[in-house]
Amino acid sequence: MISIDTVSKHYGSFQVLTDCTTQVKKGEVIVVCGPSGSGKSTLIKCVNGLEPFQSGTITVNGVSVGDPKTNLSKLRAHVGMVFQHFELFPHMSITDNLTIAQEKVLGRNKDEARDKGLKLLDRVGLKAHAAKFPGQLSGGQQQRVAIARALAMDPICMLFDEPTSALDPEMINEVLDVMVELAQEGMTMMCVTHEMGFARKVANRVIFMDKGQIVEDDSKDAFFGAPRSERARQFLAKILQH
Amino acid sequence: MYDFDWSSIPGALPFLWEGMKVSLEITLSAVIFGIVWGTALAMMRLSPVKPLAMFAAGYVNLFRAIPLVMVLLWFFLIVPQVLRGAFNLDPNTDVRLTSAMIGFALFESAYYSEIIRAGIQSVPKGQVAAASALGMSYAQAMRLVVLPQAFRNMVPLLLTQAIVLFQDTSLVYVSALADFFGAAYKVGDRDGRLVELLLFAGLVYFLICFAASQLVRRYQKKLNAHVAH
Repeated sequence: MISIDTVSKHYGSFQVLTDCTTQVKKGEVIVVCGPSGSGKSTLIKCVNGLEPFQSGTITVNGVSVGDPKTNLSKLRAHVGMVFQHFELFPHMSITDNLTIAQEKVLGRNKDEARDKGLKLLDRVGLKAHAAKFPGQLSGGQQQRVAIARALAMDPICMLFDEPTSALDPEMINEVLDVMVELAQEGMTMMCVTHEMGFARKVANRVIFMDKGQIVEDDSKDAFFGAPRSERARQFLAKILQH
Repeated sequence: MYDFDWSSIPGALPFLWEGMKVSLEITLSAVIFGIVWGTALAMMRLSPVKPLAMFAAGYVNLFRAIPLVMVLLWFFLIVPQVLRGAFNLDPNTDVRLTSAMIGFALFESAYYSEIIRAGIQSVPKGQVAAASALGMSYAQAMRLVVLPQAFRNMVPLLLTQAIVLFQDTSLVYVSALADFFGAAYKVGDRDGRLVELLLFAGLVYFLICFAASQLVRRYQKKLNAHVAH
């Protein structure tokens, strides 16, 4: 489904990603972790072309992301993305947040988009909030709406960029629960997150990044059992301490 | 002690009202054109296409570095010739109002463009990323997501600029156009009551602008309350 092949990226002389290679198969859940500044968010943003990269190739469902001839908007319409800071549109009601891209990008009619949006809103447990504005919801609720907004586009896969790291601790689980459910339904997912409990529960593989490189790319059991690199061991030790 | 005599004002009111209409017409056309053209300039200035960005930056810097009076005077001297040539107008057609409107509109666009540029930049970058991630084109992201938020933040500034613009319309006196100020001046000159007429005109400008800024302030309070919840 997603194939990343020797991707490198630099800002001027600063190397952000170095020869990153990995694959995500249909139905797989991949967790990407690593210390801050390791390039994990940049890597995931390269997958839908939000960040350009200078060398290597990324293909999503057979479409090359870096090819200048690729219609990126068309590709992105079917690759869901959830951001650290939710990025709901604050000037629109929750319903409009869920329907605008369905109508303007996919060309669905109003009723169809509304039905779909409300069904997904119900699924993330927020049906009662349809008429509210994002500013009236808690962070956890906003992030659940953001997930519903992405799902409304019928994505072929979902990218999560630290979806819980801007949340208060008591709200993290409500978001993770939605993500776990999604994983169990067979959604192809690539998640940048530090939530190791989530990784243990649903990940097929864990990718560990440091200094712009993929240091480990292993099955969940191998990664948590005996990480091969010293850097991953240190990272796990630090993260599991609390 | 100067002997005030206000008696020439009541009879002059219809004439002054005609002048006020000219002032308002110029203000309104310049605000509308300024916002539309200013938005285009702001988007060019922020665009990754270098020549567009340079053109917009040049335009804005040029107009902001020239006094409005001079712009108006040039337009008063040049535009009538151009308009007459372009539309084959009778040499006696009065195009002073049109020239003034064009001058103001082009001049004010430079200021509006700066306000709008700041407004666009005040919208977090993540909003564009989110819109793009949903498959929206750049134009859709701007139109549906960025500009509505930018304008909501900018309304107080845009209105304040409109108030300044309304005051600046008095400068059209250089083209002998009878706007409100020009009309007041003419009446005062005719009746030898210049001081009274100009005091009266000043009072009217003050009342209109003060009332308008109070309205802007009230709107801004409402806006802040809305954002804060």
